[in-house]
Amino acid sequence: MSARRRERRLVVDWTRCDGHGLCARIWPERIGVDEWGFPVLDASGLDEDDLRSARRAALVCPRLALRVISA
Amino acid sequence: MTLLDMPPTATPPVVSLGATRVLAGASHHHAVSYAEHRALAGPLVYRTHAWLCDAARQVRLLGRGGAAFPVATKLAALVPGPATGVLVNGSESDPASHKDRVLMRSAPHRVIDGAMVVGAALGTARITIAVHDPLAARALADACRERGDAAAVRIAVTAAGFVGGEIRAVLNAVEGRPAVPDGRPVLPTERGLDGTPTFASNAETFAQLGLLAVLGTSGYADVGTASEPGTSLGTLLGDVPRPGVAEIAHGTSLDLLTGATGDRPVLLGGYHGTWSRERGLRLDRAALREHGLDWGAGVLAVLPRATCPLGEVARVARWLAAESAGQCGPCVFGLAAIADDLTRLHAGRPVDVSALHRRLGLIAGRGACGHPAGAVRFVASAVTAFSDEVRAHAGGGCGRPVLGSLPLPGRAA
Repeated sequence: MSARRRERRLVVDWTRCDGHGLCARIWPERIGVDEWGFPVLDASGLDEDDLRSARRAALVCPRLALRVISA
Repeated sequence: MTLLDMPPTATPPVVSLGATRVLAGASHHHAVSYAEHRALAGPLVYRTHAWLCDAARQVRLLGRGGAAFPVATKLAALVPGPATGVLVNGSESDPASHKDRVLMRSAPHRVIDGAMVVGAALGTARITIAVHDPLAARALADACRERGDAAAVRIAVTAAGFVGGEIRAVLNAVEGRPAVPDGRPVLPTERGLDGTPTFASNAETFAQLGLLAVLGTSGYADVGTASEPGTSLGTLLGDVPRPGVAEIAHGTSLDLLTGATGDRPVLLGGYHGTWSRERGLRLDRAALREHGLDWGAGVLAVLPRATCPLGEVARVARWLAAESAGQCGPCVFGLAAIADDLTRLHAGRPVDVSALHRRLGLIAGRGACGHPAGAVRFVASAVTAFSDEVRAHAGGGCGRPVLGSLPLPGRAA
């Protein structure tokens, strides 16, 4: 195993997202919405403190469009 | 007849600029027969997977579909074996580009040679060529019948549409699913034809690989520059000295190809490309990238002086919005709003310019494929390059008609 930790990021499956906006409501510090209600994600990676909020945002999505990935 | 008012069934003229290799012997009224092709190209040379990876790396061969991904990296990611797939993407989908159609219609054996070489290197006979254009499909099918070695090659005619040419949309189309990209991107080298790892690339990439196998790396590098040996196909469009499809040696001056256009912006790369006023550029993908430009689908266009540039751009912007596959919100709503803004700018109606710029900045990267990012690049660069036109239209318009000089499918220019 590499000692370097893989960076975690929040990604949207845009084919699933319907712009319900729950993710932005639960984590407004890092998720905004555009004028049509679709999420605008902060592009930076997630550190340990962010992970809990990121996972909560992913869990509330009614379309299961949001995921935390390691890249 | 110019390229602009040609019916879709007509093959654009093949323009000879002195670097003819993959288009040797080809013209718009003549498809190179197998006998002619073998006489011109010499006997087909099969190479090992290792040789082909190494040679593609040495000549810095980049994919010709627009993304310019290193071919060697893609080839090296695959393990040879009978289950490995080969997918030739001939579904040229940018209406400004004609190079792949001309190549497949006029020199189909070049593409088949490349597919056979890649198939042999990967130890597989699972070769599919995906095409939108019915005439190209017929030329390829006739060519396969003409030669003894291509009986296993499958030709799949897939639905047209800009997004339908994206490689994952093509994979879905050849397997009978809707021709749209999946939401979770998986590379064809991991899961391609029938779910197995697949080498998928543009038709011209295969023609270049066939040529590389025959010429070897030093012969291939006889033409072109040290940073990018060889040639590229391109479509020269509009008010240029020699409109048509050309094979162009890398390093060629783009000013030579576009003619002395004064300060008129040049469209580079197609409808996912960039309008630029830069001069002194050369055809070299790495060098162009340093200028923030991209050879893309290989289109160079200059608008005639008689047409309204803003109207032309608005017309293409509406088409780009309509070409959204309808899967992703930012693309569906964003491109429609931007097309509407451009239409209003052209008509001299009030536009919230700061909202337009915000929209243009918010769409790239928020979709399942590159369509929204490419469409926004086209529009945003036009708004900058034609800023004088934008100002003129704020006062009511420029008085010129929109001639439809930028070709769109199914519409007479």
